[in-house]
Amino acid sequence: MATEQMYNQTIIEEYVLSDEPYYLPLADEIEIFEAAYHQRVPVLLKGPTGTGKTRFVEHMSWRLGEQLTVAKPSPKVDASSNGHPVSLPLVTVACHEDLTASDLIGRYLLDRDGTRWQDGPLTRAVKSGGICYLDEVVEARKDTTVIIHPLTDHRRTLTIDKLGLVIDAAEGFLLVVSYNPGYQNAVKDLKHSTRQRFVALEFDFPDEEHEATIIAHEADCDEENAGLLAALGGKIRNLREHGLEEGASTRVLIYAAKLINEGISPRRACQVAVTWGITDDAQVQRSIDEVVSSIFP
Amino acid sequence: MNTPKNSEQTMMNVRAELESFPSPVQANFDRARDALTGRLADDKLDDWAQLGLLISKRTVRSWEAGAELFNASPMVQRQLPAGQFISWVKIGDQLCTASPSLAVAYFRASPAAIQRLRPRYISDWAQSCRALYRGTWKSSALACKLFEATPDLLESLSFDELRRFSEFLEEVSHRSYDMSGDALEKGGELFPKLGRDAGAFIGLSNTVAKNSWRHVQPMFEAAQFSLVEMPREQRSSFISLVNRLSTQEGIDPAKVMRDGARAIGGVGHEWRDTLIDLTHRIAAEGSAEASSAFLTTGPRVLERVTFPQMVEWHSRGMQLMAENEGASEAYFKNESSYSHEVLDALSSSVELDRVREIIRMYCRMLAGQEIEVQAAQQLVDKNIGWFQGELPTTEGTTIYLPKVINRHPSKDRNFAFYKVISTHQTGHIEFGSFRFSFERPSTMFTDLRSQLATSNGSALEAIPSEIEEKPEPETAASTNGAVENPEPDGHASIPMSRFFDLFPDRKLGNDVFTIFESTRVDSNVMDAYRGLAVSFKSVQDDALGSRPDMTELPAREALVEFMIRISLGQSTDLVAPKRHMEVARKLRRLIRLMQRDYALVEDAAEATIRACAWLTEVRNEELNEDEFEDLDDDEEDDEQDGDGEDEQDLQGMIQAFIESMQPGEGVGEDENAEEPEDIEEGDDQDYSSPQEVDYRGEFKPELSQLLSQAQMQMMEGGEFGEDETGEMTPLTQEQLQEMMKNSADIDIQEGQDGEEMSPELAEMLENLLKEMQRRDPQAQSQPSGPMQHVDEEGGPLTPSAPDQYVYDEWDFRANEYRPRWCMVHEKEMSSGDVSFYRDTLIERASLLTTIKKQFELVMPEMYRKQKRLEDGEELDFDPMLEAVIDLRVGSTPDEKIYWRRNKTERSVAVAFLLDMSASTAEAIEEAKRPNDDWGAPDDPVEYMVWLRSRRTEGLRKSYKRIVDVEKEGVVLLINALETLGDDYGIYGFSGYGRENVEFYVIKDLDEKFTEEIPRRIDRIAPLHATRMGPSIRHATQKLANQDSRSRFLFLISDGRPQDRGYSREGVEKEYAVHDTRMALMEARREGIVPFCLTVDKQGHDYLKVMMDDFNYEVLPDVSLLPQRLLMLYKRLTT
Repeated sequence: MATEQMYNQTIIEEYVLSDEPYYLPLADEIEIFEAAYHQRVPVLLKGPTGTGKTRFVEHMSWRLGEQLTVAKPSPKVDASSNGHPVSLPLVTVACHEDLTASDLIGRYLLDRDGTRWQDGPLTRAVKSGGICYLDEVVEARKDTTVIIHPLTDHRRTLTIDKLGLVIDAAEGFLLVVSYNPGYQNAVKDLKHSTRQRFVALEFDFPDEEHEATIIAHEADCDEENAGLLAALGGKIRNLREHGLEEGASTRVLIYAAKLINEGISPRRACQVAVTWGITDDAQVQRSIDEVVSSIFP
Repeated sequence: MNTPKNSEQTMMNVRAELESFPSPVQANFDRARDALTGRLADDKLDDWAQLGLLISKRTVRSWEAGAELFNASPMVQRQLPAGQFISWVKIGDQLCTASPSLAVAYFRASPAAIQRLRPRYISDWAQSCRALYRGTWKSSALACKLFEATPDLLESLSFDELRRFSEFLEEVSHRSYDMSGDALEKGGELFPKLGRDAGAFIGLSNTVAKNSWRHVQPMFEAAQFSLVEMPREQRSSFISLVNRLSTQEGIDPAKVMRDGARAIGGVGHEWRDTLIDLTHRIAAEGSAEASSAFLTTGPRVLERVTFPQMVEWHSRGMQLMAENEGASEAYFKNESSYSHEVLDALSSSVELDRVREIIRMYCRMLAGQEIEVQAAQQLVDKNIGWFQGELPTTEGTTIYLPKVINRHPSKDRNFAFYKVISTHQTGHIEFGSFRFSFERPSTMFTDLRSQLATSNGSALEAIPSEIEEKPEPETAASTNGAVENPEPDGHASIPMSRFFDLFPDRKLGNDVFTIFESTRVDSNVMDAYRGLAVSFKSVQDDALGSRPDMTELPAREALVEFMIRISLGQSTDLVAPKRHMEVARKLRRLIRLMQRDYALVEDAAEATIRACAWLTEVRNEELNEDEFEDLDDDEEDDEQDGDGEDEQDLQGMIQAFIESMQPGEGVGEDENAEEPEDIEEGDDQDYSSPQEVDYRGEFKPELSQLLSQAQMQMMEGGEFGEDETGEMTPLTQEQLQEMMKNSADIDIQEGQDGEEMSPELAEMLENLLKEMQRRDPQAQSQPSGPMQHVDEEGGPLTPSAPDQYVYDEWDFRANEYRPRWCMVHEKEMSSGDVSFYRDTLIERASLLTTIKKQFELVMPEMYRKQKRLEDGEELDFDPMLEAVIDLRVGSTPDEKIYWRRNKTERSVAVAFLLDMSASTAEAIEEAKRPNDDWGAPDDPVEYMVWLRSRRTEGLRKSYKRIVDVEKEGVVLLINALETLGDDYGIYGFSGYGRENVEFYVIKDLDEKFTEEIPRRIDRIAPLHATRMGPSIRHATQKLANQDSRSRFLFLISDGRPQDRGYSREGVEKEYAVHDTRMALMEARREGIVPFCLTVDKQGHDYLKVMMDDFNYEVLPDVSLLPQRLLMLYKRLTT
């Protein structure tokens, strides 16, 4: 059964990052997150798509895991990694509109011998003391927010009514959620009772210089192209809300860089990775293409 | 006379005589007699019988005619009075004398024909047909055929047309009976299809028959297809065109018809009349040949160019025709090289209108700020200091471009030129030409600006005024006055002006600065946009190619030209005046410095100071060609460090500069020149500015900075009402006047008397002031004194009727509400005609279907499976499983294990507020004239007059107005909303003054959709002003009473809020903006989501303030409104 696969017991332990995920801090977000983590204050990441929210969480889980490993080596060191630092367990749940509370907490399953309780991802994270990252949390059903409330205040408990249990969150547990405050979802918005349980970190596109560094690193491309792509990204973002709903994300710029690496001509690479991806409006496409052809020889 | 007895006798006799003929004669007679007896007087009956007998007896075969007569008689008699009935028979008799078969045909056709023929025409008809008969068998057959065809022909022809048709047939029959018969047949098929145009076609046929009978048959064949399929609207004018051409020799009407039909069918319906008109015009002024050639070539030409371009091609052809008629034929056949040339140019030209949106977004992306793109002519029309309608320019927020580019034979290259010039103009914005600051240090020079400003204050004072405005000697007095009476800070409030004040010769300063700054921008552009380098370089090369010959210029101008050439990238074959080689080298180095990537606008300014100091030492004398010398292209110049040398030269530099300001120096016509080498002073020329570099266009740093000052304050200062920062202070009118006079940007002849401004300058000044006020809300408060919101007298209002409501208004100056300040009158919209609603639904049917389809996609979400119910359609798998598990585990299972398809509560209430202000009367094609809104007079009476004039202006126009588009949007919206079942209200608002805010209910929120609603929509019309605040508050009130889960307020407007006493000239406009904003915030506090949709392209600047963190959208194209409105609605509410 598909669900059984999804909630495989090994996932949480397996999903540790042994290599440092690349993340280029733009401001003090790392310090803030570390501070929040040390105080176990839940974190809300806001920002448009492709600004590195997910990557940031990965990076932080690795970074905090490393710190923990150094501080108290035994529990967090994976047997196979031989003392090499690994990340905190990171459970990522991409929220969608049909995501229910039991999808997070867990449910009984039928098996050959009768029934068996299966922990949901949130429960696992709570038990194992990792970071639980609920991506695009506004998309989830309203009943899920009720579950996360007791986890995000002083109680730090998870109530599993089916089992009649209240689980205290493990020492290392932290809830991180993200959402994208685009103007299109006037109906879908976080309730204040929910959003005021988090410290909020705003993410936006990096400046040209930083973005160039990121592109160069992620796509492993030369600095010149990375710089030009970053410049292009900046230019396209000037059109936000004036024809484009969202600007070109760093991610699509990286894709373009990767295509360029493979020998695709820069103009063409930008067209397929950037222009066509972000808009269907022919005029906007044309004008972006013009900027592309101005920037890339 | 006749007794019944006699009559009976006659009948018997006739009958008896008829027996000698074949039996049908008698049988028919009997039948007819029975039918006619009683209906016809006896004597007439006798006549009839006698005549019938007579006819039958005329010749051997005429009994057939008699039989036909008797056969037809009862039917004919019923349609004719007795007398005419007898004449009808007599006519038959006459025909019979000529040929019995004619009479047969005549009688046979009569019953049907007479139904459609007035009795008095019967004889004419018979004559017409008979005219075809010329005694031969063939002619008789033809005539008979016409008789036979008559009933059918009369279905679609009038008798007169029929007669002309028969004339035509006769004309043709002289040549060939077969052809004539054929035409008759074809005509019979054709005329019904041509409808009203059949007559015109017959006229054409006559023409053709007379002029070239051989073409008749092909023409009829062609007409079967070409004319029949031609759109009805154009058919008659087209036929008359063919008619006109057919009068000429050598024209094949069939071909014209086919070609014409193809041409007309090939163009959009809006152009068809024009096309025919164009062809007519060729025929009127030239040969038919050319005209017909035009129709033939038309479609091919249209493959290459748009219709308006073809009109242009046509008009060139007409010009040619006026000069040389013979050549025009080849032209219109598109066989002449001139025609090809014109077409090439036209087809490759790029029109601004077609690429404007692309360029606008392109520039926006580059500059990172809102940028408009307009035709340069529009800026010139404003008359605020720009004069060249064909040159690109910018004033800091808008890029002005030529209307059309046709420099190159290919579209791509022409577009590339657009791209280059807009990139260059945007470059001025992107790379900060207008952010010039007097104080900011330059990066590569020791700053001389402030030194000059302080140390030479006295020097400036000492300069005789005529130097300052050197090119125009008459200006002496006026400038004199200005200098003697300077405002201490005077025009210095604009950094650019302060800078140019340093120069004795502002014109030279401006020219040199333009070169340096453009060079800097070019080099920045080339650096940042390497993809553009190729086109940029080629544009520069083209520009170089069209530069004037340096050796023909006087020395100083030659050096300026020399700088331009360097800046355009010329590195070889450079010449410079021998005597000024050193200066040329130094100038070249300055230009090269500007091309470094760290150069700032301040560097350009410092370079200008240096260059001007050197240049003023160069006398502007005529030079012979041999006084020029090749300049060595020693690139080491570049290697040298500019700063070091500057340091050494510094004192000398200042000295030189000061000296340059001394009387007589560098001023050609000045007579007290003291320079020793100034021997041939007569040779000196007035300095005149160099020819513009086409792609760089007009660069007006001073004016641009002045105009962008307002915007910059808004952006940097953030909030209104905060003190403006730094060196920029709003100008008073006097200061502006002073600046305009001095400005090198404006090169205009001043009045002779010197004391007063010339009318042109005064007008320009006024325009400029208006333009500034339009841009700068801050400047508004200047004349009317601070802190006083000028409004009508009076205090709070009290409603006196149940449909009146009072609302507070936010006064942002006082930072408090004015209590009970506005009165809203709620009225139900009167009902009009339902046709607008119907027409819109028909017109926009396709859009409506797409929209409905999209809205239906929302429907499945509404009819979503509802799970976990105690009762339902079917067992829900997941909960059932859970229940089973629960049973196994031993706990109580949940009983909610069913699902049902259920209509989920979609609980949305939305109020649409439509702007019904006078400005919505503007036609959508017309360019917005933002000035107008602010031209509102203060006086209430004048104000009403002004409003009315604007209204009638709108009424006169038959084309679509903004309000019509709004209405269309509403119609479509209603249809879509009815699909969704949301609660919605539609309201219109307008008004005049605070006590008179009109709020029209088109559909109230809790009103059901009835027949009445479409009628009310019809009545939406432009009324008065736009006081948005109270209307929003009123709508908010209405929405607040709804208990829907989500509530929305859609504001659809065409511009700023504006009303008498709400925003006027002389009163802070932002009062209205702030009040509207406050009203929107109030709405939000009530849990209502406001959204503003505006069609005002200028919308971004004030909406940014007004809507701040609210949602809004500015539509680039009004006609998109209905579509966009629905899309937005869908997106916002789902």
